[in-house]
Amino acid sequence: MAVKIIESCVNCFACEPVCPSKAIYEAKPHFLVDAKKCTECEGDFPVYQCASICPIEGAILDSFGIAINPPGSLTGIPPEKMAEAMAELQSH
Amino acid sequence: MQLPVLNDASSPAAHGAKGGCEASSCGTTENQMDSLPDSIREKIQNHPCYSEDAHHYFARMHVAVAPACNIQCHYCNRKYDCSNESRPGVVSELLTPDQAVKKTMAVAANIPQMTVLGIAGPGDPLANPERTFETFRRLSEEAPDIKLCVSTNGLALPDAVEELSKHNIDHVTITINCVDPEIGAKIYPWIFWKNKRIKGVKGAKILIEQQQKGLEMLIAKGILVKVNSVMIPGVNDQHLAEVSRVVKAKGAFLHNVMPLISEPEHGTFYGVMGQRGPTPDELQDLQDSCSGDMNMMRHCRQCRADAVGMLGEDRGDEFTLDKIEEMDIDYQAAMEKRKVIHVAIQAEMDSKRLEKAQKAEQHKQVAKLSTRPVLMAVATSGQGVINLHFGHAKEFLIYEASPDGVRFISHRKADQYCGGDSTCGDGESTLQLTIRALAGCEAVLCSKVGYEPWEQLEAAGIAPNGEHALEPIEEAVMAVYQEMAAAGKLVTTPEAVRASA
Repeated sequence: MAVKIIESCVNCFACEPVCPSKAIYEAKPHFLVDAKKCTECEGDFPVYQCASICPIEGAILDSFGIAINPPGSLTGIPPEKMAEAMAELQSH
Repeated sequence: MQLPVLNDASSPAAHGAKGGCEASSCGTTENQMDSLPDSIREKIQNHPCYSEDAHHYFARMHVAVAPACNIQCHYCNRKYDCSNESRPGVVSELLTPDQAVKKTMAVAANIPQMTVLGIAGPGDPLANPERTFETFRRLSEEAPDIKLCVSTNGLALPDAVEELSKHNIDHVTITINCVDPEIGAKIYPWIFWKNKRIKGVKGAKILIEQQQKGLEMLIAKGILVKVNSVMIPGVNDQHLAEVSRVVKAKGAFLHNVMPLISEPEHGTFYGVMGQRGPTPDELQDLQDSCSGDMNMMRHCRQCRADAVGMLGEDRGDEFTLDKIEEMDIDYQAAMEKRKVIHVAIQAEMDSKRLEKAQKAEQHKQVAKLSTRPVLMAVATSGQGVINLHFGHAKEFLIYEASPDGVRFISHRKADQYCGGDSTCGDGESTLQLTIRALAGCEAVLCSKVGYEPWEQLEAAGIAPNGEHALEPIEEAVMAVYQEMAAAGKLVTTPEAVRASA
């Protein structure tokens, strides 16, 4: 049972100090979670601390591999709107 | 290592500037600090970010030691990192406190005009208390001739006030975009507070309470507080006058209103959703209505969190980690050298300030014109004179000339926010973009203007002028204004009433 940080992590350090189990560490190319130490905050907090401060949608997965903060959940940008804007940019 | 303070702000030179301009409105409307108490004025009159004339002489730098943030703002995107970008929150290289101290001392030794070190991100400095305070603690000890500043969103501020008061920090900037949680919810989608992500109005309410509490605590400690606000048309533009009133009543010495920077390619909420930034006119109107007696910070460049050098320039490339690693800095010697240079700069600034005040006094004696105000653009690379070729200007300073004198209004970027190729942005050439950036100006003063831009400027109704090279900006602007008046170009029209109000 552990969360996972994936490549969309921007290395902002926000999650590292809030982890109650000191399971998060700086690494290249991005921060990682020590699966042996991660408790998913059980016994400490009702919600994942790392995923509650992480600003990047999709960067932290739960133990089922599902994004804890899915697209649109943090920025408020509807995913289709974001896709539209990115497509528009690439066409230039 | 304990070093003596060589650049004490209370040096006699710092007191000489008042000269012939004691009154609260001397002829040039630009003497921005007259309404401030002496104690505050002394602290800020040589600060490049606060003093319009000081920014032509003194430089600043930011060190990017604070990556984490505890809130999300709709104008920010934490993914962004581009060396062509010039926005707050964008950096190329994150530093440890140790690297930041080395970099600061390397810059101070090589750019002696650098007097101010700020920590402004790229996240929130107070959401990274250990990294931020370690940097401040070491710099207070090892480089005591550098002023320290910090900016924050305010969420963690109340808990940090005690620690802030222990270091050599005399200014704190709080970004306050609203005092109404309903408006806040349209700017801040969430905050991280007491181990939870809190969204919407509830989160905004906590943030606002913390900002106001932090502001009050800093004032009670005697620490200067500046408030920054981002002007977001249709969201908080009508509300910022209220913000201004509240923060000034609590003791903030300055309220700096900055324009929203918003493009789809920034990937921010506002950028993607098509929220526009204010026009120069809208910004100026709001700044005028919020400024009260003070006319400061119009020269604010919304610097990157790792900017180095004079405002409007970035010499960060000269001080990358690998380059500073090779530098051998004797800071004691550097400090001696810096002291001598600072005294010389101070003397030059004082004489310029005095000269300006005398000119303004003379101007007052001359029969007053009743002509309309005019905006003019100026190309300068510093020292308060017109000394830059039109084609070399990356930005222009905008001045307003009126019968009351000459007043600095803002700066405008010539190349917008993109350093890309010349076809970037709807196929307009760089020259066309520059001319568009000068909209509303009726003249542009440079050391020289080439043939091609000359014709296009004239066609756009902006008179190119290369006749005042190396002259002080205010004098040249006034001279051009008087020529325009004499030529009958400035007969008052009803439309001009707004600009002079």
